[in-house]
Amino acid sequence: MRSSSQHVRRVGGALVAGSWLMGCSLLESSPNQAYAPADEQYQTSRNLARLAAQPPSHHGDTVRFVLVGDSQRFYDETEDFVASVNQQPRIDFVAIAGDISDFGLGREMHWIHRRLQKLHVPYLTVIGNHDELGNGRAAYQKHFGPLNYSFVYQGTRFICLDTNGREYGFNGRVPDLEWLGQQLADTTGIARTVVISHVPPNDADFDPKLVQPYTQLLRRHPQVALHLGAHIHRFTAGQPFHDGLTYLTAYPLKKRRYHVLTLWGQRYFRLETISYAKVR
Amino acid sequence: MRALFLFLLLAVPLGSLATPVAPPDSAGAPTAKHWFHPRHLLLQTGGGIGMVAAGAGYSYWHKRVSTDVLVGYVPKRHAGSKLTIVTLKASYSPVRLPLTADWQLTPLTVGAYGSYTIGLQNPGEPNQYPDDYYWFSRTLRYGPLLGSSIAYTAWPTSSDHSRSLAFYYELGTNDLYLHSYLTNRHSLRPSQLLTLAIGLKMNL
Repeated sequence: MRSSSQHVRRVGGALVAGSWLMGCSLLESSPNQAYAPADEQYQTSRNLARLAAQPPSHHGDTVRFVLVGDSQRFYDETEDFVASVNQQPRIDFVAIAGDISDFGLGREMHWIHRRLQKLHVPYLTVIGNHDELGNGRAAYQKHFGPLNYSFVYQGTRFICLDTNGREYGFNGRVPDLEWLGQQLADTTGIARTVVISHVPPNDADFDPKLVQPYTQLLRRHPQVALHLGAHIHRFTAGQPFHDGLTYLTAYPLKKRRYHVLTLWGQRYFRLETISYAKVR
Repeated sequence: MRALFLFLLLAVPLGSLATPVAPPDSAGAPTAKHWFHPRHLLLQTGGGIGMVAAGAGYSYWHKRVSTDVLVGYVPKRHAGSKLTIVTLKASYSPVRLPLTADWQLTPLTVGAYGSYTIGLQNPGEPNQYPDDYYWFSRTLRYGPLLGSSIAYTAWPTSSDHSRSLAFYYELGTNDLYLHSYLTNRHSLRPSQLLTLAIGLKMNL
């Protein structure tokens, strides 16, 4: 018994050493692997905890946050973006509306995180179509967290969800309308709801079968104040479904422009555009 | 953890090849090999082509040039789905330095590889996207390699031929990491693109 337990311990030690080697990013098993160093895993829950712990930037029901999209492969620009956002006063958090990576590779997510972690405020992400390439979904889950999640801050429910239907071959299940319905129905203590996704429903990469059910579902919930997206790499704002709900798409990070959104009351919002210069 | 176990599991049969089959009456005659017999076997970890990868290859031009085929494996726990990676590798080692009678150093090996990954969650299906939606392949990777190896020669199979076992490492990268670097030369460092492979090569 004793010798076998010693044997087990020795093999266990070798296996732990082996898994440490496997874990270190240089000894990469595949660029598609879903590995993140222990202190870089699950940024969504870490940043939500930071957000919950920090005092709000404004009194009352006002929330103020930065919106940008498509950080994909723009590391030079991301550094300048972080420097610019850190100069903005009274920001609650930064929202990156998808396409964190360009190729869906974990190392790209690591590179972006290493830059975004220098933000003075928490940052939150939603998954984009590029983040779902290869095994990007698994890498995203490891680095950031769930593909669909929601949180409440300053009387606002933020619903972040995967709308990249084309990456699932338009299987009729993305976006997950059942989950979205549950989040929209939960309005306890909520003044307004903001939906953040990557592909907007008026884009060809949104599952065509779900455009109508999705927009109808949002319409049935009058507390939805804004629908925020990215993906099309230009700023748009309008009511494409003529139903009183404003859909907005963010600037891509490479444009060196981002928005600061301030929300108050049930549906009031102010949109500021910030441009920043190339630092080098 | 499972990977190391697999590595050891695969190392055992490779190790057993090291035991020379006694050639009772072939002394003096060079071991004739058919052209299709691999000249070496490989077992490695990392390098972006598998948590464990095993393969075989040929060498030409006084063993300076080598072409290899490897099949790698990445468990689901480490990648979200079980991956099988098939790799073709070509390398050139201009110099071999004898250190002692048994030890030999190959200070520099340069090469290139191409790999094909099977089992990706979202590899891209025909008709999934409009034409030219993504310019890069999700399944096909390629990149340069640079490494060294040290070999121990200990198992003579005839008077002029010996089996040897080499330990090698390779530093490499892939097309997508290189593309990332070339478009972000201010904020990415070349060292951040690197992958490391370590392995054993049994010259038959």
